[in-house]
Amino acid sequence: MSLFMRNNLKFNLPGDHSERELIRALARQYTLKKQSDFTEQQAFYDTFDWRLFNESLVLFTSGNRLSLRELNNNNPIESIGIKSVPVFAKDFPKGSLRDRLSSVIKMRALLELVALSSGSTPYHVLNSDEKIVARLFFEKIQLAHEKDPKEIAAYLWLKPVKGYLKYSRDLTKRLEESGLTPARNEDLFSIAMEAAGKNPGGYSAKLNISLNPKMPANEATKIILRFLLQIIKINATDIEHDRDTEFLHDFRIAIRRTRSALSQIKGVFPKETTERFKKDFSFIGKLSNDLRDQDVYLLNEDAYKSMLPLVLRDDINPLFDYLRKERSKSFRRVVTSLKSGKYRKIIQDWESFLNVPHQAAAIEPSAGLPIIDFASKIIFKQYRRVLKSGNRILENIEDEMLHRLRITCKKLRYLIEFFSCLYSRKEIKSVIRQLKKLQDNLGDFNDLSVQEEYLLAMAQNLPLTRRHSKNTLVAIGSLIEKLDTKKQTIRKNFAKTFNNFSSTQNQKLFLELFVLKRKKAGL
Amino acid sequence: MKTLAIYSNKGGVGKTAAAVNLSYIAASKGRKTLICDLDPQSSATYYFRVKPKIKAGVQGFLKGGQKVYKSVKGTDYENLDLLPADFSHRKLDVSFNRFNRSKNRLKKIIAPFKSEYDLIVFDCPASISVLAENILDTVDCTLVPLIPTTLSVRTHNQLLSLCKKKNFDPGNIYLFFSMVDGRKKLHHDLMNAMAGKFQGVLPVVIPYLSVIEKMGIYREPVAAFSPGSPATRAYEALWHKLEKILFFYS
Repeated sequence: MSLFMRNNLKFNLPGDHSERELIRALARQYTLKKQSDFTEQQAFYDTFDWRLFNESLVLFTSGNRLSLRELNNNNPIESIGIKSVPVFAKDFPKGSLRDRLSSVIKMRALLELVALSSGSTPYHVLNSDEKIVARLFFEKIQLAHEKDPKEIAAYLWLKPVKGYLKYSRDLTKRLEESGLTPARNEDLFSIAMEAAGKNPGGYSAKLNISLNPKMPANEATKIILRFLLQIIKINATDIEHDRDTEFLHDFRIAIRRTRSALSQIKGVFPKETTERFKKDFSFIGKLSNDLRDQDVYLLNEDAYKSMLPLVLRDDINPLFDYLRKERSKSFRRVVTSLKSGKYRKIIQDWESFLNVPHQAAAIEPSAGLPIIDFASKIIFKQYRRVLKSGNRILENIEDEMLHRLRITCKKLRYLIEFFSCLYSRKEIKSVIRQLKKLQDNLGDFNDLSVQEEYLLAMAQNLPLTRRHSKNTLVAIGSLIEKLDTKKQTIRKNFAKTFNNFSSTQNQKLFLELFVLKRKKAGL
Repeated sequence: MKTLAIYSNKGGVGKTAAAVNLSYIAASKGRKTLICDLDPQSSATYYFRVKPKIKAGVQGFLKGGQKVYKSVKGTDYENLDLLPADFSHRKLDVSFNRFNRSKNRLKKIIAPFKSEYDLIVFDCPASISVLAENILDTVDCTLVPLIPTTLSVRTHNQLLSLCKKKNFDPGNIYLFFSMVDGRKKLHHDLMNAMAGKFQGVLPVVIPYLSVIEKMGIYREPVAAFSPGSPATRAYEALWHKLEKILFFYS
């Protein structure tokens, strides 16, 4: 029905309506001519983490057209003809739809959320010249691919004809008199999601934890860890379908956050428990290191190529072909290991530990502290560590020290994010913004260093058997040079970036939020 | 937006049939089309089952603006609208003269449609007058149906001398043979002669077929009620040529 949506009137058909009776009643006043029925397939798409929905966008197919519209607005912003639905933004034909989508979904795959089948019975309303003066469509929408399809919506559409609005106005009156009500402005997307039992926006890899400030530290820590475990479990099952790279990525971040929480939130759990799971999660993390590295290089294939002089662009292909081969090997290894008994046992034990109600009289030193005090203390301590090592680097920049500062900053970032709900949102936002600027500088520097080393190692490993092999090595060399130039610029920017981060104003911000406010609260 | 006039200063040559079918075919290929019936006999309007009436008659038409805009009717076909004729169009010529710069009037009248349509097709009355000058001066392409008879040669020469006198580009005028009887040797001989004599003769022939006359009974374009027929195929071939001239060459 999407073709005819513009300027049309839509009426709800109640569950017990009778098309025949309504038509019979209208036929007393109008000449109606039934047309042949038609059905149309519709389907809605989004990424696993609802990137389109979070931007109030709806991507849908209707017949052989793929269109993008805003939620609660039936007029498409973009629309193209398609043979099959593209999976990634890069698979779309060049144009404004692709640009719009790729800025939102980035590297994520589009998944079909729900498919609908809509059956329509059209009627023409004719005047005495047998000219069409209005059109009526009875539309029934069902979930497609169901054994016993349930009707999820039924509408009567009135499509006016230009120059004959009198008839449409009159028909509207008749329809309202017969008890039909204009359809509420409810989006078919929402109706279909509800019918299919989907919860738009329901998954996000972002931490969304609510804690009570007075809660004991051990209980609060378990809430955080349980949240992370959910993300681990949700993504782990999807990694094997290999629909995009981000299932693994979200999985790995949740693992890393879990490890970080275990090692930084000290003294809340029995020591031997903490030690055991630290080792276990470190083991799980390492399982997919190779795969993630390969994913990142392959995701950046185009970016790397654009750094190369035109004459060398095709010569780098053997490197990416090799990476693709290696990646499929790594992928199989990861899938096998995630199904292994060892992995399952770790997750099971971890889940039982998190679900055991905490004991009232815990013996660990910090277990019973109110979480707000404990969190403020460890966050501020970590912040002081960042300042100290940063200041030391300013005296004498060494690559190794930058690398260590990056990790210190990351630990601080994770801590702040774990406990962000305990503080004022506005202030946490500005604290994170300042920290992020520093992290970006350190992260870029680290990425480039790692990439240089990786490419060098690749140059050693590449099976160079073909005629153009030497050119491939030249291309890799050229790429390393480009990366190194960038790296030097970023290195030069460190001092300025760190000085901004450690400005008096920012120091006050951290001090106020994590120390003084606590003191004012009488502690 | 592109504009096309189906014009002949000779009557009964298949202008309206061509205008109606070409508009229908263009619309069915996805081009938003408005067919403008300028003939007081209002045959095109009749074929689309619309009443021949426009708001405020010929005066309203010539003033242009909202009155004309609101007179547009949706046809029974997607992408195709009609600006109906009005009986008062018989006075169109005299009334055109009353306006200052009367030769640019038509351009002003169609200006509001620019953003809405890809194509406007004018079905013109058979006359050679101020209205004809307006049309020749306004449209991107004028299409003249020619029946292969000696009288048609004569009337087309009249049109060409008008162009010369008024400085209109005869390069925008295209011809096609209409109502051709394939059994008549005379038709074949004259077609060959005219194709050599005149510029812009399109290699498409619309035969004399009774199915085209049946449009008056069905009140629909041939292409709508008899989609696979030879007549429809001939109009489709004609549209194919015109589409190239209008949308790709210029």
